[in-house]
Amino acid sequence: MDLTLVGQGLLNGLLFGGVYSLTAVGLTLIFGVMRVVNFAHGDMMVWGMYLAWLLATRLGVDPYLGFVVCAAALFAFGLVTQRFLVNRIVDAPHEMQILLMLGVALILENAALVAFGPDPVRVRSALTASTIWLGPIFVDVARLVTFGVAIALTLALYLFLTRTDLGRSMRAAADNTYGALVIGTDVRRVYAVAFGIGAACVGAAGALVSPILPFQPSGGLAASVTSFNIVIIGGMGSLVGAFVGGLLVSLAESLGAVFLAPSLKELVSFSLLVIILLFRPAGLFGKGVS
Amino acid sequence: MRDHQIHRRRFLEAAGVAAGAATLGFPLPLRAQAPAIKIGVIHPVTGPLAEPGQACRLGAQMAADAVNGAGGIKALGGARIELLVGDTQTKPDVGRTEAERVINQGAQILMGSFDSGSTAAMVPVAQQRRVPFLVDIAAADPITANVAKAVKEGQQKLQFVYRNFPTGSSFGKKAVQYFGEVFKEAGVSPRRVVLMYCNDLFGQNNAKGFQAAHAAAKPSWEIVDVIPWPEPPQDLSTEVSRAKAAKPDIIAPITRPASAQLLFPELRKQRVDIMGIVGPGSPGLYEAGQLAVLKHDLEYVLASIPWANFKNPRTAKAAEEYQKRSGGKTFDTNSGYSYDGIMLLADVLERAKSVDPDAVVAALKATNYTGGLMQYGGPIVFNELGDNPNAITTMIQILGQKPVAVWPKEAALAKLVFPRPKA
Repeated sequence: MDLTLVGQGLLNGLLFGGVYSLTAVGLTLIFGVMRVVNFAHGDMMVWGMYLAWLLATRLGVDPYLGFVVCAAALFAFGLVTQRFLVNRIVDAPHEMQILLMLGVALILENAALVAFGPDPVRVRSALTASTIWLGPIFVDVARLVTFGVAIALTLALYLFLTRTDLGRSMRAAADNTYGALVIGTDVRRVYAVAFGIGAACVGAAGALVSPILPFQPSGGLAASVTSFNIVIIGGMGSLVGAFVGGLLVSLAESLGAVFLAPSLKELVSFSLLVIILLFRPAGLFGKGVS
Repeated sequence: MRDHQIHRRRFLEAAGVAAGAATLGFPLPLRAQAPAIKIGVIHPVTGPLAEPGQACRLGAQMAADAVNGAGGIKALGGARIELLVGDTQTKPDVGRTEAERVINQGAQILMGSFDSGSTAAMVPVAQQRRVPFLVDIAAADPITANVAKAVKEGQQKLQFVYRNFPTGSSFGKKAVQYFGEVFKEAGVSPRRVVLMYCNDLFGQNNAKGFQAAHAAAKPSWEIVDVIPWPEPPQDLSTEVSRAKAAKPDIIAPITRPASAQLLFPELRKQRVDIMGIVGPGSPGLYEAGQLAVLKHDLEYVLASIPWANFKNPRTAKAAEEYQKRSGGKTFDTNSGYSYDGIMLLADVLERAKSVDPDAVVAALKATNYTGGLMQYGGPIVFNELGDNPNAITTMIQILGQKPVAVWPKEAALAKLVFPRPKA
């Protein structure tokens, strides 16, 4: 086996994993705080991509700056969606939550289809053409920057949740909603902000991959499934789990493409899921069933 | 109030007279005209293959307009061709239900449907409902071969499915032949070819056809690695790293539009040092939308694909009309084969002199049509499998951001550039 190829595969997997992590962190935050699985997650990501595309093509904003705007827009969208839709089903059975979120996903996907058409598009950034060479191994600068920003955002979110009052009340509401109510936490506000932040994460992730991957409205479902896979591997509701899981899944897929037929690489990540479910049903960093 | 009622009664009387006149009087001139012939035309006009799918639909519409403008089907009293359009969304299940729907709405003939998966799903509908089905585009061999086999073995009585498009195996044979000829013409002898393909029905079938043709022809170059990817792919960086590790002289990609948009920038970024990219035949390498997005990444790319015969003045005329009606797009493989499909069906109907399925099938089998605008190796005829052996590919190259025919020599409109100049 060619060692350069293995090294390149590891690096490609690691760098792409940053985006997986950021996306999964958004999903796990929403689940952890209000126990709702956001099946519209991938479609929100697609909208993040298209917003970055709009900013780049209409206003000439580079997606590596535009991601801030995309995150803000998705934050507002998440806040409103939570207040008017998700809030009604927070206490409802899971199947009803799933129906609502799938409905939101359908609306988002088809709205993108109407607004942007079905053809795949991509965003150009000044960075997309540049590469750094470390001997025989190449580093795609766009992927490196995407990775760096995704890691920084995840870290910032972690600090927010552990060091600020709002972050602490979010964790309180996640751990024990009733207890949080008793000590005077505005749980409704906490829920809305959590959903907004989850949406902002995935919006930023979408904008950050838009210079790397071509995208089209139909891409949301695949992204949702990948994120969901990562969150289960990492442990439902665990931020660290989602972060590590994202890197792990991406590495597994990349190495799968090196050692097996690349068309089987998704087999590797889903096999990982099956193994985790068999031996650690709560996920790598899950707290177990309480 | 009374006044009002009288008004209403009078109104009803007047309406009755008008309605009577409508049923008795107006249909008279219409009765002389034959009823329109309904052709169900189904393509992926939304979803990942929307660009080629929409090109197909417009090509078919242009041909129908041309037939109707010239007086319709003369053997059927000047009957007009009416298209009942459908959308597969590139989903086989949708393709199947769309075929059912247009037949229920009266379609007497089916045409479609670009992607092999959906086309294969439409075949059983055509066979069960006894509706002649002309495959205008779709390469996977089993689409016609399975039906021909069932008829031969007596499980089915009649074959309703015919195809005027190269099959996956003929794509492979032509590609291997053109590879050798192009290398010889350029005076180079590349040794190592890496085959990369999208792992769907179309990609698998064409990759298999290419490998089989290579094994049969035993050329001086070898296929050193075969790299399939799941379609649509999320990321192709590791696939390209793997291709690079195989130290190729030639990359032979079988793509779809979205995967081509991932593959080509990645090949450039990873500085895969090759003589050139030569596609054994697939979409994604030459369409207007792809050229707009990929720009210089497609320059000098060669591809062995079904192509229009621009030496034919009628093709140039159709291309001009197509450009106007599409908002500036090029008349290409997709619009061209769908155009030829409707023209071919018009010829079949003239000879069948009926829309009875058996008569249409008999006329299809007896086809010997020379009016096609695409590059053929002879007249359009159908062999024992229901395929046209004269549907062949042409080697095109992207030169100055435009696809141009470069091989075989008799079809070439420009001299091929190979190996590609070093950047």
